[in-house]
This record gives sequence, structure tokens and C-alpha cells, in this order.
Amino acid sequence: MTLHVPGLYPWPFDGDLRPENTALIVIDMQIDFCGEGGWVHSLGVEIANTRRAIGPIASLLETLRPLGYTIIHTREGHRPDLSDLPANKAWRSAQINGKGIGAKGPLGRFLVRGEPNWDIVPELAPAPGEIVIDKSGKGSFHGTDLEAIMRLGGIRNLIVTGVTTDCCVQSTLRDANDRGFECILLEDCCGAATADHHERQIDIFRIMDGLYGSIAHSRDLIGTLEAKV
Amino acid sequence: MKDRATDFPQVAARPYAWPFDGRFSPADTALIIIDMQIDFCGLDGWCAQCQGDPLPMAAVIEPTRRLLDSMRAAGFLVIHTREGHREDLSDLPENKRWRSARFNAEIGTTGPCGRMLTRGAPGWEIVPELTPLPGEPIVDKPGKGSFYATDLEHILRTRGIRNLVFTGVTTDCCVHTTMRDANDRGFECMLIEDCCAATLPHNHASIMAFTEMGHGIFGTVAHSKALIEAIS
Repeated sequence: MTLHVPGLYPWPFDGDLRPENTALIVIDMQIDFCGEGGWVHSLGVEIANTRRAIGPIASLLETLRPLGYTIIHTREGHRPDLSDLPANKAWRSAQINGKGIGAKGPLGRFLVRGEPNWDIVPELAPAPGEIVIDKSGKGSFHGTDLEAIMRLGGIRNLIVTGVTTDCCVQSTLRDANDRGFECILLEDCCGAATADHHERQIDIFRIMDGLYGSIAHSRDLIGTLEAKV
Repeated sequence: MKDRATDFPQVAARPYAWPFDGRFSPADTALIIIDMQIDFCGLDGWCAQCQGDPLPMAAVIEPTRRLLDSMRAAGFLVIHTREGHREDLSDLPENKRWRSARFNAEIGTTGPCGRMLTRGAPGWEIVPELTPLPGEPIVDKPGKGSFYATDLEHILRTRGIRNLVFTGVTTDCCVHTTMRDANDRGFECMLIEDCCAATLPHNHASIMAFTEMGHGIFGTVAHSKALIEAIS
């Protein structure tokens, strides 16, 4: 039996959608990007633009967890000694208000592993047994075991959500597509620092009717899975 | 060459003068020219078969050639990439094949310039104006990014490259995928806005905006004139 989620194109391309070959990836839904006292908030960004994804992702998790889909969470952050922080990334992050990666914020050191602000927002806390990938860059494949975990788990389809649309989400989706994974971006489950950047990124993903994968709303996926049950 | 290196001024770029620490010489800096192939820039190439407009891509050949001349003369490493698949298509993901077939431009089938996006076909060649010189590394890649399933990172580390200048096509696809992956690896990147292009100009503009956000979250953006001035 084949199953397709309506969207930019019916996804996955071949209709082979099963809990055994499909994972949800929730990218960087951390306080540093979505919460008060986090790094992005400290830069004066309106965090409502990233927080918009929390509710839809929570609903999606409620649907996918009982069905047995693989759930993967990622966290951007650096080692406490910053040995994995490129010099140019450190320099750029300090240019805006002098408080760059590793500096003390209201909750702890920005984008440093183990700090309270580096945690995933409580609404989306990983459940026991769910995979958590710690990464030092925007993409989730470089310097991580994500690809090994996906190959070993037999994952072929990837449902992509999280923040920010134009940065870590885009980098990860592009890298996943090059590796042959069949991706779908759920546009209501992502967000960028500005709504404009979110929309423009979605426009880029639309080229050639899905050069990197399909795009849908989370209700399209949930509706498809519930209709099947 | 070593002494001259320290004489280069930083390049006027947005949002910061590049490179961030001012260290910039032919010993540590490379020009990367992405996918300037007939399949993307030619009137009968794969992109045109997919109903994409190749004219914006063709328009950057000339400015890229001028930059290439100038960087070659100054002794910089030049790296070319080509997107394309093995003749037996063993490196072509099934979903990539399926997507291209929807446009009647299935990768591996024959178009006006031979087998589309297939290594060795006439359409897969780099446009003649930008033909690699002997000794310039060419990286063949099956995806959009130039690091995945290639030896690009190995070549860059072996040569001691730290800074990368980005040109080529298309801005929103292979160029930015590669620049993002380079940035995650710690390379200091600069995108040359007049030497890259996308099928849709507004998507090209969006990529410039994304690059400049967060005080240059992926690097900087400059015009080729600024770089040529800095190294001349």
C-alpha cells in the first residue's frame, strides 16, 4: 500500500511512507533560539517568530510518537572549552552587541552545551529513547553521527521541522537531500528571525516544484496518517 | 609571494570587510567556481530543458572570467566543480531522478547536449570561457553541495586553504549549499554577487539577504571589483 501526503508534490515521491523508514527531525528548538533569556532574544529578535513552531511541533509529536516514528532532536552548541568553535563564527557572533557565543547571558553561557539556555524548550523535551544530535554548525550532518544513525535505522524519509527556516533548517534539509533522503518541510513547524526570511526561504524551496523535497502543512501529514488508521 | 601576501588590504564587503581577521594571501585563499557547465548556462542545457531560464547564468560568465584572470595572475588556487552523475547512474538517488523526469528532463537521458547531467556528456562540460587550466583541481559531485561524497575538504586542508571566494551557479542551490557547508567547516567565505546567478532573480536577492544576516552568519557578500582592486 502506498501513502502520500498532499503538498508541493505528493510525498514521498514513491508513496513508501511507514514508521519503519521515516523520521521526524526537530531542529534546534532550544531556549537560545526560541526562549526568553536565550541568545536570539538577547539580540533583540522578536521570538514570537521562532516560537510559532512550538505548538504545531507539539501536536505533530503527539501524532507521530504513538505510531512509532523515529524522532530526532538537534541542538546547536559548543563544548564548554569552545575547542569546536571556528574563530570566524566566534568573531561574528560578538559583533552585534559584544555578547557572542560563550558569553554569559541571563540564564547561562550562550550556545554552550550544558547551559540552561542551550536546552530544548520544555514543551518539546525529548522523550526517553529519542535521538538527540549535538552539532557545532548549522547543518546537522557535519561532525555528527546523524547519517550513521539514519542509515542504521533504515530511515529513508525525513520530515523536517524547527528553527531557523533560513539557517539550520535549510542547511540540514539540503545536506539530507544530497544524501538521497526524501524530505518534506512542514512550513507551519518552522520559523525564522523574521517572517520575511521565512517566506523567502520557502520560496527558494519551491523552485522546480521541489528540487530539495516537498513542502506541506502539518495538518496535511497528520490528516494523511489519521485517515490511514 | 609570501611577502606580498601581507600587503593585500581587506576586501570591501557586506556586512564586514573580508576576511574577518585580515589574513589573506594566495597561500591560504582559493577561488571556487561552481558548476559553470553548459547544462546550467547553455541555451540547450539541462536547466533550459527543465524550463529554467539560463540567461542569468550565461550573464555571469564574463565577470567570472575577469575575476578568474585576475586571481590566476596573482597566483591564487582555483577550484572548479561540476555536478553530474556516473554513466551507470549508480550515484543518482531515485528521488532526484524522479523529480527531474517530471520535467521531461530526466537525468541520464539524452537531450540536445547529450546525456543530461551525466559525466562525459557535452552538456556536462564547463563553458569554454572558463575552461580549467592544467593543475587546477576539478571536483565532480553528485549533489548540490561540493563537500558531500567528494575530496574537496581533503584538497583544501592539504593546500592549507582557510579563505574561500565563491562564484558560480546557481546562487540559491549549489553555490549556497557549498558555502553553508564550508562555513560549518570553519572556512572564511565571501560570495561574489555579480559572479553568481539564479534562475529567479528574487531568489538570488534572498540569498544575499540570508548571507548578510547575523553579522554575516555564513560569511560576506562583495562585488568582484572590490576583490580585484584588493589583489591588484
